[in-house]
Amino acid sequence: MPNYKLTRRDFLKASGASLFLSGLPLQGFTQDKPPGTISVIILEGGMDGLTAVPPFGDPNLKKMRELLVPENYLKLNSFFGLHPSLKNLSSLMASNNASIVHATSFPYKKRSHFEGQNLIEGGGLSPFSEKTGWLGRSLELAKIPGRALSLEMPLILRGYGENDNFFPAKIKRSSEININLIEKLTMAHAKAGSDVFEKVKKKSLRTLENMPRDPQSLAEYAGKAMAQKNGPTASVIRLSGFDSHASQDDGNGNDNAVNLAIIDGVIAAYKRGLGGAWDNSIILTVTEFGRTVAVNGTKGTDHGYGTAGIIAGGAISKSRVISEWPGLAKSDQFEQRDLLATIDYRSVCAACIEKSLGLDHDLIASKVFFEPKLPRVFDYLFS
Amino acid sequence: MNEQFRVAQKLGLMFRHDEPLPKDIKAWAIKQLQTPSPSLGIGNIGSDIKPWPKSLQPSLDEKAVRLRIHWETVKRERKKEGGYTEDARRANDRDNFTYKNDILKFSHRNVYGSDQLRLRLMSFWTNHFTIGSFDSREMIGHAMEEAILANFNNSFSTMLYKVTTHPGMLTYLDNHISAGPNSQEVRWAKAKGRQAGLNDNLGRELLELHTVSPSANYTETDIRNAAKVLAGWGIDIKGNPLSSLMEQGGTTNLWDMYKKNWAEPGNKVVLGKTIYQGKGGLKQLTDFLATHEHTVMHLSTKLAEHFVSDVPNKNDVDYIANAWRQSNGNLDQIHTAVIERAIASREPKFQWPMTWLFQVLRLSNASYFMGWNEIYAEGLGKNNMEPMQIFNELGQNFWKERQPNGYSSKKEDWMSGEMFERRMRFADAIWTTDSQIQTTSTIMDRIGASQETRKLIESLGGMSKRSKKNQFIALMCSPELMGLENA
Repeated sequence: MPNYKLTRRDFLKASGASLFLSGLPLQGFTQDKPPGTISVIILEGGMDGLTAVPPFGDPNLKKMRELLVPENYLKLNSFFGLHPSLKNLSSLMASNNASIVHATSFPYKKRSHFEGQNLIEGGGLSPFSEKTGWLGRSLELAKIPGRALSLEMPLILRGYGENDNFFPAKIKRSSEININLIEKLTMAHAKAGSDVFEKVKKKSLRTLENMPRDPQSLAEYAGKAMAQKNGPTASVIRLSGFDSHASQDDGNGNDNAVNLAIIDGVIAAYKRGLGGAWDNSIILTVTEFGRTVAVNGTKGTDHGYGTAGIIAGGAISKSRVISEWPGLAKSDQFEQRDLLATIDYRSVCAACIEKSLGLDHDLIASKVFFEPKLPRVFDYLFS
Repeated sequence: MNEQFRVAQKLGLMFRHDEPLPKDIKAWAIKQLQTPSPSLGIGNIGSDIKPWPKSLQPSLDEKAVRLRIHWETVKRERKKEGGYTEDARRANDRDNFTYKNDILKFSHRNVYGSDQLRLRLMSFWTNHFTIGSFDSREMIGHAMEEAILANFNNSFSTMLYKVTTHPGMLTYLDNHISAGPNSQEVRWAKAKGRQAGLNDNLGRELLELHTVSPSANYTETDIRNAAKVLAGWGIDIKGNPLSSLMEQGGTTNLWDMYKKNWAEPGNKVVLGKTIYQGKGGLKQLTDFLATHEHTVMHLSTKLAEHFVSDVPNKNDVDYIANAWRQSNGNLDQIHTAVIERAIASREPKFQWPMTWLFQVLRLSNASYFMGWNEIYAEGLGKNNMEPMQIFNELGQNFWKERQPNGYSSKKEDWMSGEMFERRMRFADAIWTTDSQIQTTSTIMDRIGASQETRKLIESLGGMSKRSKKNQFIALMCSPELMGLENA
């Protein structure tokens, strides 16, 4: 096992199935391509960071949740381990192509899925305050319009201007839509809707092969698309099922071992798809909250606060576990129930945007997250 | 559109080609609330419209019996050498699953029913009380009809209690496995070294989504206390033997299953209200929440957003909220207030994908959903899609696994190139599937299509088959029929 230089209080030393592809360059519009690509894996339901990345060096871990400490976890350093489902991530850590941020969260403490999900996608200061998403705003600042490969248009990718989505349909007895028909409909939708039909027209002019719909194939497809010369700059994959209220590890309910293996497979599939473009890529997870430290009555955990984030990609040159560990003793827990978040995860997102899109941190802080004083953690992740 | 169709679009599912148009549309709409329709449908594509056969509408007990047989069959088949064959699996599904019938029945009702306004309200409340897990899919159709639709002439508090105690909801949000921390069950479990205790999933969503909303500023203690009131309610629906139901709940009635040994002893305080221990505590809690001021405002706003306008004005919301307060949550009065405001407002209302599909099918009299005899028919699959597939491709499906917050009523969440193209493709598929459908000009005359819509259709002119198809697609995807602009 590689030796990750990190100890219990090794502080911030430096202190996200559906697929959405976005950031296609506008035709006939000369511009510099951004330095890299960014992919977000949304983990819907609130991922239990203490299961994914167990801090086995904390004596309270076993005390608080003996049932849920994974057996045969993979050792990252003398304090942190990785769930055995994250084998591929473990080898990426060994080759200095991945990092973990632990005891982190978006600054949302009220434990509602839907407020939390709105914040991790919208990136606003309060739930439902924003109609656009943090990645959509970033792509606009980088002058790349948003276009998503998906049946829905996810909030995270919505910008103020042009938004679009597409996804191969499987509707029997429907044929290619006639362009004249789309043009006439676009004209008829003079008010709301005309720009949407414009997009239907653009989409119909492109060919899209039949794609499989499982998360790993989607990730590979996304990786391949992003590796192309005029391919998208961003992608988002949504994985569900992390709301592990019950039987989270016995193979009967929301089994975290299965879900974590899916994350692991998605990251591996991205790498396969990206090929040579892996070197400039960043993949990061986001989730609305972590879960309670203690196990609940039904062998699961309830909604909490702090969790862990996974960052992978060739843009990382040194693997680290970045954490200002708050401790798991009852008195160290947030409201005596949750892992405390000591790192604002928006800073991690901002660093990933800075690295992949080449935007200035202050600009990201003020225009993407509306928080001019957002701490910059770039050096901890990418130096 | 003429006034009848403008109102039918906002509040209903459009008048079918042979339904008479009421002179007084508002009186008609309010009367709809009191006029149930049998579940109408077709046995085979092209056959006459008839009520759904009783044999395909099992009661909760009958569903439970079938599930029991299903699991026994699965176990038996798995034990056999060579495993569970595809044919055996299909036969077991056909004989013992009912959710495929339920989705088709829901689709048929919406296409053929004469109670279009009640059906729109049923979908609104089904979405509000989302039940969306694989484990509960056999129960979704039952909850929709028996807990929601059947209570339209009761109070919201009755509906809330019946939904909260429904085995579909209790299973979906984990309540059937939640035990009070000081319950007998937890003491036994501890003695045996087993894990048992509270799960706050339903308690949280009861407050956050179903009633008061986060605006009430409840605390984690309120949520835990609500979960403690709920502890003991529900049982796993996976085909328990009757003896085990009797043993655990003292009854075989799955819709009234309260396991005393799992209940949390003592009074609980939720949002300042003391709830007494015992089975009656839940009714006390749901009654309290059903008329709580934050529930009234939360749900009046949600109703207005769905039926009146994406951004309802204060008067619209206040009008509905006042009806709620004055009638103490009587659903007839609340729904009547919604009807009045939706008719008074000239704001267009963008329609959900599934609502649009039903409206297209009713306007065109197209036969698109298969008949109840054809669900497991061989050979139909080449040209026809199963209802499950249809709703998945539309991007909206009540039987799909999903989160408890349900689908958005707001245009901004549905306006996208892909969603629009899907509508065009479905209009195409509907036109192609049924050659007997109403012509575009007949439909336009009947609904009183606007000059703009007529201009659009004329611009695609010609008598060729292809032109006619394009005209049909254009009409169904016109701003007027998508609810995007004032007619």
